[in-house]
Amino acid sequence: MQSYANDRVLVSTDWVADRLAGTGSVRLVESNEDVLLYSTGHIPGAVHIDWVNDLNDQLVRDYVGHTRFAELCAEKGIGNDTTVVFYGDKSNWWACYAFWVFKLYGHADCRIMNGGRSKWQAEERPLTREVPEYPPSTYSAQPQDRSVRAFRDEVLAHMEAGLPLVDVRSPAEFNGTLLHMPAYPQEGALRGGHIPGANNIPWSRAVREDATFKSREELEAIYLEEQGLAPDADTIAYCRIGERSSHSWFVLTYLLGFTGVRNYDGSWTEWGNLVGVPIEK
Amino acid sequence: MTRLEAIAAELQSVDDATRLELLLDYANALPPLAEEYHAIRDAGLGMVHECQSPVFLMVEVADDVVKLRADVPREAPTARSFVTLLLQSFDGETPAAVLAAPDDILPLFCLTNILGMQRTRGLRAIYHRVKQEVARQL
Repeated sequence: MQSYANDRVLVSTDWVADRLAGTGSVRLVESNEDVLLYSTGHIPGAVHIDWVNDLNDQLVRDYVGHTRFAELCAEKGIGNDTTVVFYGDKSNWWACYAFWVFKLYGHADCRIMNGGRSKWQAEERPLTREVPEYPPSTYSAQPQDRSVRAFRDEVLAHMEAGLPLVDVRSPAEFNGTLLHMPAYPQEGALRGGHIPGANNIPWSRAVREDATFKSREELEAIYLEEQGLAPDADTIAYCRIGERSSHSWFVLTYLLGFTGVRNYDGSWTEWGNLVGVPIEK
Repeated sequence: MTRLEAIAAELQSVDDATRLELLLDYANALPPLAEEYHAIRDAGLGMVHECQSPVFLMVEVADDVVKLRADVPREAPTARSFVTLLLQSFDGETPAAVLAAPDDILPLFCLTNILGMQRTRGLRAIYHRVKQEVARQL
């Protein structure tokens, strides 16, 4: 079987299990949709990073600045040269989101544990409620790396230039029948539909039932052959608030080796409310 | 002081970190769903569809008493804790007491900030289900 474009970045539950003891240079980070889930039990040694309380600025709709991000890493005992392994619930959505924010601030060595929390649990591996304490590290974060993030004006220009856009939401959201995921809370967009010209490739097509990623061949069959995306083309992925699309951003960038994918985290909750921009149903 | 007021007062008196710990205790305190409701749940009835996790909630009103029964998976501790808060606040109360509770209960429990906007809408849907069902069955 062909390996992924970047094989190093995806690690197995076995790889993590082998490193539970003596993880000086490796830090496990659990990131979940559910804020309490980490506290009910997590992989021994894992720290918790919450997308609302730790990564989102509470006053501006943005991520915490790079100074606060550096403090967060220092508090979690993460240094600039630490290998950070993310995992979490919901097929690693939030793990990929945290991974993306770490890349936004230039962290070098980020990995994803394939299969996430559910695979670890299905394999009956140990969980603990003990919260680890690490000596604070020193960390220097870079200003945001705009090559992984797209803002609305850039998305508008991208759309007008006819460049590839990937809408990773469900077909009903894409068509404008629904303003949010089936069975998910409504999140306040005034109009339903998608950015004109976008391909609809639901994020979930990239994963198997056990939450692991599909093989490279299977992914290429979807993203390259069926959808006609090109690895060297500037591509923007979006969803509703940027979390599902960070999952697809990860797939395109690291598993398939795309060189210019940006995540539009404003996503539909911004675009669906913007004055003066077109949508398509 | 009503049970709702007592629970809210406790949640209001602590900092965010302690409130999360209390929520975890509530999540663990959800009683198992009685056998007689399993068939209804397994048939897909009583589900709160706005919620991101499979939340089962039955609201019954008889003899001026509200009865709440619920089931929420362990993988969704936040929804479990919220449902337990509602059970402990309202199960056994009068319909009038439930209907007199504030329309938005999340600020009362101080949950808006720690959960963030995206996580609270499903919980609001659970709460509205309780109030709607009580009003409908009067």
